[in-house]
Amino acid sequence: MDGAQVLKTTEAFVPRRVSLSRLRRRAWRGGLQGSEFTWAVAFTVPYIALFLAFVAYPVAYGLWLGHKPSLYAELFADPIYQRTVVNTVLYVGIGVNLKMFGALLLSGFFMRRGWWVKGLLLIYVLPWAVPALPSFISIHWMLNGQWGLLNNLMWDVFGIDGPGWIETSRWLALGSVIVSHIWKWMPFWTVILLAGRMAVPQELYEAAEMDGATGFRRFVHVTFPLLANLYLICTLLSTIFTLGDFNSVYFVSGGGPALSTHVLATLGIRDAFDIARPDLGVAAVMSSLPLMIPLVILLMRKLRTTEVRL
Amino acid sequence: MNRLSRRSVLRASLGLAAAGALGRPFIANAAAKTASVWWQQGFVPEEDASFRNMVAEYEKASGNKIDQSIIPFGPLMQKMVSAVTTGDVPDVMLHDAGSQNFLPQNAWNDKLVDLTDVVETQKSQLHPTAYLSAQYYNSVTKKRGAYMAPIKINATPYHVWSSLVEKAGYKLADAPKTWDAFWDFFKPMQKKLRDQGMRGVYSLGLQLTTVGPNDGNVLFHHFLMANGGNGIITKDGQPHLDDPQVKEAVIKTLTYLTTAFKEGYVPPGAVSWNDADDNNAFHAKQFVIDLDGTISTEVALIHDKEQYDDMVTLGLPLDNAGKPMPEQILVEGAVVPKGAKNLDVAKEFLKYAIRPEVVNAYLKSGLGRWLPTMPGLIKSDPFWLDPKDPHVKAYVEEGLVNPTIPAFAVYNPGYAEANAQQIWGVAHSDIIQHDMTPQAAAESALGKIKTILAKYPVM
Repeated sequence: MDGAQVLKTTEAFVPRRVSLSRLRRRAWRGGLQGSEFTWAVAFTVPYIALFLAFVAYPVAYGLWLGHKPSLYAELFADPIYQRTVVNTVLYVGIGVNLKMFGALLLSGFFMRRGWWVKGLLLIYVLPWAVPALPSFISIHWMLNGQWGLLNNLMWDVFGIDGPGWIETSRWLALGSVIVSHIWKWMPFWTVILLAGRMAVPQELYEAAEMDGATGFRRFVHVTFPLLANLYLICTLLSTIFTLGDFNSVYFVSGGGPALSTHVLATLGIRDAFDIARPDLGVAAVMSSLPLMIPLVILLMRKLRTTEVRL
Repeated sequence: MNRLSRRSVLRASLGLAAAGALGRPFIANAAAKTASVWWQQGFVPEEDASFRNMVAEYEKASGNKIDQSIIPFGPLMQKMVSAVTTGDVPDVMLHDAGSQNFLPQNAWNDKLVDLTDVVETQKSQLHPTAYLSAQYYNSVTKKRGAYMAPIKINATPYHVWSSLVEKAGYKLADAPKTWDAFWDFFKPMQKKLRDQGMRGVYSLGLQLTTVGPNDGNVLFHHFLMANGGNGIITKDGQPHLDDPQVKEAVIKTLTYLTTAFKEGYVPPGAVSWNDADDNNAFHAKQFVIDLDGTISTEVALIHDKEQYDDMVTLGLPLDNAGKPMPEQILVEGAVVPKGAKNLDVAKEFLKYAIRPEVVNAYLKSGLGRWLPTMPGLIKSDPFWLDPKDPHVKAYVEEGLVNPTIPAFAVYNPGYAEANAQQIWGVAHSDIIQHDMTPQAAAESALGKIKTILAKYPVM
């Protein structure tokens, strides 16, 4: 019930001597009276204060730091930034889609019954469960071209010298970052989609089976349509997370070789702290907003329209 | 006992909040003799213990209090940049790479306190290059001032595995005395060592990196000077980027470094090495020789006597024209940001911290990794020229006894921004990865530096 409705409803029942301004005040207070309103304010003020201090102020400060158009002109003219934008699009586009599609397929596998499947699931979620930084630093060492585990194994087993995975080629390094990201985060989304699959009523599968839909057809005509909204929401969420992902790139390739695999999140930190230009760093991160804001709006719309659907 | 009502709880809460807000100035006044200090974490625990001891001694002598935070290298720089950006600053800050970017730029922007009165207390003791390196240009006052209390010096020696040289069938004493020839001497060792089963060994640990803050720039500048490019920035702060001699030195330097890389004498990972990676690679005997600031490479293995003695620390050979080369030293120290709440205590603490006996005890606890800024100390304390130590003596001679010059960023703070952008590292990658010629890469790099320096008109 909005304020106007409250006003109308209240007017019908109160004696005429109650002034209109008092009614308006009551409506503004959401129908709360006397100490109820005081308590409501008392309980809300700390949250509002925290929100202003730790959400609104930092965001506004960031916008202020990166508000000068000259910063964006400087960024757009920088070949490192141009390369970084391409990397960000590739990293997010390939990383998120491969990860989500793999998670969708694997969630089907983990629906199978059997103790060994549960055991495998337990091992499979370990990369997600372990802390991110040590994992990515370990991957960085493992991929070292001269003395990393991977190339030593290749030498010992096949007698061949492996490439410098993160040291010589932009594409190998970016590929290594994407694979590391998928390795780390695919288990999480697999579990989410597994939960979605478990919520699909069994009767639907039984009915589909009676109509002759099994295997791939059952997936195409029953499972995927029911999971589609969940899949889309998860993909949107993951895209937003990955756009701001710093750890995978920073700790696996470090933005190298020769600054060729930076994404916006890592370039922002480089500009802010290595070059000591916080305004330029904020501008680099802000430049992802034209992509980020539509994604958030789309996500909100999907969440509003899919309240009870899977 | 009175009943606790909702109204009384609200009243009491409001009263407490008001009392806190109104009482705050008095609390602040009570702490007026306290200074907050952010100090970089030491290389070994003893260094931090020595700093704490320095603080304790100061507190005892002065009656003041130091609120100290010892912070690692990376996070400290982030905190310092954030603090100066937001204005919520401590009273004193010291970072081991502050002179490379933070200090010159913030002195230029008038965000640091002039510490001339602090530095002058030890002027007679300070090495002339250290004294000069404390002076930075302020674009607001249009003059130089001492914006750093100089505490330590970073010189750049050679580090060599003598066992690898010998295993390859060579003697270090036979190394030529001029710059390029000296490096070339080590190149054939790679094949000799690989033929003996050392599959992943390289000759040269050249840091052709785009990752900061120091190593790539320092390496490039030493080659630049060996090729006669010292005049890229002169004492008056003026750049000479179009000077044919400077241009030629830049091209020669880029050519030598990238050719060595392309010919396979440098580990491929060198293009992305950070400050620790080259040390780790050296310890893994991935290469025979490198040129790297401080003797942290050696002192990291001080408890492994065999390895410690196997490494050799060498000063600089002659330049390519056969003349002695001055060592370009980096001088680091503490700064006081504008907005520091306890300026008097901060300055008093720094006057104490740069006293010869205090700074000497502090730096010795760091195993001699950093040199003192006062030449008198190497005469008065046998630690610094102890002939029994195979590394410290050579390092001291290079950084304190032989001729030295300050970093280019001391002359012109714009050069610090160029350093921070790793323009020389990018030039290497232009040649190595994008097949640019050294001439084109030199033009591109010098053009970028010119654009940056145009923002820093030093009068």
